[in-house]
Amino acid sequence: MATFRLQGSRVLAVDMTGDAVKAKNGSMVAYDGTMTFKKLTGGGEGIRGMVTRRLTNEQMTVMEVKGHGTCWFADHATEISLVGLQGDKLYVESSNLLCTEASLRTGTTFTGLRGATQGNGVFTTTVEGTGQAALISDGPAVILRVTKQYPLHVDPGAYVAHQGNLKQSFQSGVTFRTFMGEGGGEAFQIRFEGEGLVYVQASERNTIAGDV
Amino acid sequence: MPFREVNAKMVEATVQPGTKMFSQRGAMLAYKGDVSFTPNVTGGQGGLMSMIGRRLANESVPLMTVEGNGTVMFGHGGHHVHVISLTGDTMYVEADRLLAFDGTLQQGTMFLGSQGGVLGMVRGQVSGQGLFTTTLKGHGAVAVMAHGGVVELPITPQRPVHVDPQSYVAHHGDVRNKLSTALSWRDMVGRGSGEGFQLELSGNGVVYVQASEEKL
Repeated sequence: MATFRLQGSRVLAVDMTGDAVKAKNGSMVAYDGTMTFKKLTGGGEGIRGMVTRRLTNEQMTVMEVKGHGTCWFADHATEISLVGLQGDKLYVESSNLLCTEASLRTGTTFTGLRGATQGNGVFTTTVEGTGQAALISDGPAVILRVTKQYPLHVDPGAYVAHQGNLKQSFQSGVTFRTFMGEGGGEAFQIRFEGEGLVYVQASERNTIAGDV
Repeated sequence: MPFREVNAKMVEATVQPGTKMFSQRGAMLAYKGDVSFTPNVTGGQGGLMSMIGRRLANESVPLMTVEGNGTVMFGHGGHHVHVISLTGDTMYVEADRLLAFDGTLQQGTMFLGSQGGVLGMVRGQVSGQGLFTTTLKGHGAVAVMAHGGVVELPITPQRPVHVDPQSYVAHHGDVRNKLSTALSWRDMVGRGSGEGFQLELSGNGVVYVQASEEKL
């Protein structure tokens, strides 16, 4: 089994003994031992997955890294968080996914209006199974717990990923004033209800929501 | 050990009378005491000949000489700074990554083709770093810059390390480097994993790798 460990907060070291991981294209910074790098067409799930990805614009370009030794991954000096999955499902923006164990299944799912405001398309990537995944974020990601009593609102541009039994809906604070050019710049939020964890980064992507 | 890491992006150096150090021009942030900074026309040590060598080699990042009695803080462009100490061995580093170094260290340039032959030259092109690299030799400390911090990977004869040319910062020790590839013919025809070439470092030493594929 591949083991994931962080070396500092921006470099991921993965120890492998003949097994494989899926990683963002071009994110390898160094390795020892023997490794092979193979581009996965469309990020797994065969032709169907590829077509979905093309259509949904969640085109992660993913490579399969396989071998014996240690492989180090990093991406533009962004912060890395490790997520352990025990049979549950992680929803993550493909741009925030650095590496997953090969045993985890990746797919795409419809997110509704949320994605559109985020500038990331209306689909998001899912990671499912048991194993480890590594997320990247602009600034260290904070993990916010959502409970039944306390729903959470997140800026679409700062949203990174979520896991657990969460229902997400899209909320708009757009008022007449917004259109008069007096918006607060926080016109849209994603509302999470239920039980689970939400990963939020200390930075905001450019979103349409930021302009209104 | 003349450098003290103030924080991840700043180092403090102690300058004593009779000693000098070199730093990238403009990298001084603050100083205490009586310190002077002189632009180094010859681009480091070794006189005019070595200057011409460096000019040709395009490894001519402007340096200044720091002398006097006091402490100087160095930093540049908000990049992470990492201090490496040398104990008689040779360090290989790209000139633009050098922030400051001990004046006792011998500076030189090395033609990449002289290690690894043609592939050595290809390496410079792949990594966008030209055909030459800067060497520092002796006993002393060097402060290098990196985007997003540095990890230190030991190289042993049993475990050579392969590094993405864009993430490579510096290496020292008794190390041979050559360009390697983990490509298959499939990848050559335009479906690459983005990991086309690596720098293979073998022998005994340490390689410094940054957490990014960005150039400085």
